Amino acid sequence: MSEFKIAHRENDTINILELKGYLDAHTAPKLEEAFQSLMSTRRFNIVVNCRELSYISSAGLGVFMAFIEDIRKNNGDIKLSNMSPKVYNVFDLLGFPLLYEIVPDESEAVKKFSGKAK
Amino acid sequence: MKIRRVIYIGGAFLLVMVKFAFDVIGKNIDIGGVGFQILRELLAIAIFVLIFLTLEGERGRRALNPIRTVGFLLLALAGVLVAALILTSMPAGGFDAKELGLIPLDYPTLFIASLLSLIIGIFAVVVLRALRDLILHIRKKGTRRTLLAWIVVLLAATASTVMLKPLDVGVLTTVLGILTIIAGIANSFRLHWIVYLTKREKVYGLVYGFFLFLGFIGLNVLLSQGFLAGRSLLYYSHPAQEFAQLTFYCANIYFGMAFVSTLFHIPTADAFERKRSEVTSLSSLGKLVTQVLDFNELVDTVTTMTMQVCEAKSCWLEIIRAPEEGTRGGEQVQTLPEVAGSGPPYHVQVVALKNITRGEIEDLVPVTRKSLRDAVMVERKPLLVDDCASDPRFKGTATKLPGSIVVVPLLSHVGLIGVLYATKETAYGFVKDDLDLISAFADQASVAIENSNLIKKSIERERLLKEIMVAQEMQKKLLPQSVPQSDVLQIDAVSTPAFEVGGDYYDFMELEGDRLGIIVGDVSGKGVSAAFYMSEVKGIFQALGRMYTSPREFMISANAALAGSIDKHSFVSLIYGIVDLATGSLVISRAGHCPMLYVSGNSVAYIRPTGMGLGLTTGELFGNAMEEHTLTLREGDVCLFYTDGVTEARHDGDEFGYDRLLALVQRIRHKSASEIKNEVLQTVQNFTGNQPTHDDLTLVVLKWLGSRPEDRERTSIGDTKNE
Repeated sequence: MSEFKIAHRENDTINILELKGYLDAHTAPKLEEAFQSLMSTRRFNIVVNCRELSYISSAGLGVFMAFIEDIRKNNGDIKLSNMSPKVYNVFDLLGFPLLYEIVPDESEAVKKFSGKAK
Repeated sequence: MKIRRVIYIGGAFLLVMVKFAFDVIGKNIDIGGVGFQILRELLAIAIFVLIFLTLEGERGRRALNPIRTVGFLLLALAGVLVAALILTSMPAGGFDAKELGLIPLDYPTLFIASLLSLIIGIFAVVVLRALRDLILHIRKKGTRRTLLAWIVVLLAATASTVMLKPLDVGVLTTVLGILTIIAGIANSFRLHWIVYLTKREKVYGLVYGFFLFLGFIGLNVLLSQGFLAGRSLLYYSHPAQEFAQLTFYCANIYFGMAFVSTLFHIPTADAFERKRSEVTSLSSLGKLVTQVLDFNELVDTVTTMTMQVCEAKSCWLEIIRAPEEGTRGGEQVQTLPEVAGSGPPYHVQVVALKNITRGEIEDLVPVTRKSLRDAVMVERKPLLVDDCASDPRFKGTATKLPGSIVVVPLLSHVGLIGVLYATKETAYGFVKDDLDLISAFADQASVAIENSNLIKKSIERERLLKEIMVAQEMQKKLLPQSVPQSDVLQIDAVSTPAFEVGGDYYDFMELEGDRLGIIVGDVSGKGVSAAFYMSEVKGIFQALGRMYTSPREFMISANAALAGSIDKHSFVSLIYGIVDLATGSLVISRAGHCPMLYVSGNSVAYIRPTGMGLGLTTGELFGNAMEEHTLTLREGDVCLFYTDGVTEARHDGDEFGYDRLLALVQRIRHKSASEIKNEVLQTVQNFTGNQPTHDDLTLVVLKWLGSRPEDRERTSIGDTKNE
């Protein structure tokens, strides 16, 4: 059984989701739920830290696609950070770097938000 | 049936007239003969028999309502008494007693006597029928026999007076009369109908019984010989008098007993009624356990019955669910407390409510702070609050508080599944019995609800299985049934579906100018939606494929076509190559799909032009990102198209990966397309071992054999085929 966890941190107005484990069709609903609850409380500045994400399937990628439009409409964004090369390859194959900001380190993503806010 | 009754009534009326004529004659002329006497009596008997038969036919065998029968009898008795009093107080000469016989002194007397006798006689028949119905209402051993014995001696006593003159007293008649009364007493213990009356009916029964008892005493006094009514009846017909009098005596005894018996039953009426409704409710709920297909109906019945059983003012049922119903056991559930807000760690849903609004419920047992619900969920025992007004847990409640409330958990083998509430208007409204009963009820209800859920789940599973089968069938039909044959290009392909239906797709298309299109793709998601998108991709490929000679242009227009219909979180990855069979040139575009593996001579590489998946974005961004890569195939070159089922094949967390694939294909590049396909498939399957493939796996292998001789001549390439 694949295992997947999400931890949530808040850094000022920026919400950081730390993903851990396998994100596939079975675990995707958890990430969906997390995005949903962030959006329902109108928290649109989101950084997804993928340091411990070991696998992502197309269903996992779909979750990001499902929310990005609404989040950007609300002046927010999803930025991704700390991907392992293997995970980055999956994102890259599909052309995600053209749609999302993917940065090496979380602090960089946070900085980008802060710059925008000020 | 109707005709028969008309005949009975007509006959009775006719006989009454004849009898009246006889009596008129008898008044004027003293016939005195025994024949005349017997004829008169037989006429009278015939009249009452016909009346009995008419009444018998009146209502069919409808279920008897004892209390209504008794009430009707009381009404009829009152009517008879009033009629008797009025008739006997009319001015009339009375009777002259002569040689034990009675002779009316004038016509009014004769008329009054006839009318009164008919009324009393009919009433006697009515009373007899009512007694019979009441006695037989609930049969025990011997009920019928005692009743029959009584009727037999009653009729015997009646018959024994046929030969007697009005004022004559026969020994036999007296003996039979006494026997009738003894039998009547024996029958007067057959009062079981009282037990099953409701409390209200018992109170009525008590009153009715009392007045019937008094009324029959009055009637019996009126019918004694000293009174005109008694004399009238004796004159009219001695048997009728005997029959009426004995019937009324017995009725007197019977209703006296009924009165006393009812009196004793009243104190226990409440308890009896409760027990009876308990039994019926529980048994109907028991039946309900099997009728679980309609969940709403089930929970509605549960609340309705709870209301009935303990006479509650209001009642409601909540289903409690864990926050993440979907997750399986053993899987760690990480909740996001800060994100999820301050909500409770469970989900409450009011599924049925009676006599209360959702707003009131929310106010009485709020989800946001500790309420009775939490107490019951922790204790898992019924909770009774006798006086809500003084209970601190209701402090700050805006709604009008009920007097008392009982809260019962619904427990099943998986734990707590719901909570049942019942309220009463008065404080201390629930007794211990109520609590036991509601608990028993809650147990039954949880079994029923649990079963209902299980059935729903199994239906759902069945439905999913069917859906998967349909999708698998669809998928199978969407894939090409054979691979194109060519003497310059070896082609082989395979697609193995995962346990669930995946969204792998491959196809070929012969294009004009001796070219062949090869497309491989993967639709995100699984099941029917994946199969649906896959069929859409196939449609797009079939429709647009022929229109474009450039893979890149095809991709751009396919993306535009797909954009309108695809879900926000779904997308399709494709890789599309067009081979010119004459020249061996291969043009490739990749829309987010796994790169093509290309082996040429000793060099091996992944060909990865940039390009985004279809359905991710529309417009320029997609087109700008889309590249096209062209290469020229040389003899013995191998191209491998595949889906991520190959590279992501897993064994204990280890992925098959790009490097293994590359090394493998490089090693077996000399083999034929079919052999390469088989070997790659076999190697990947060996790698995963017994672990189930969780993604489908597709392979399309091309092997360039070299240009055809005529093409070779045309293109002047001196390579020779030596295989």
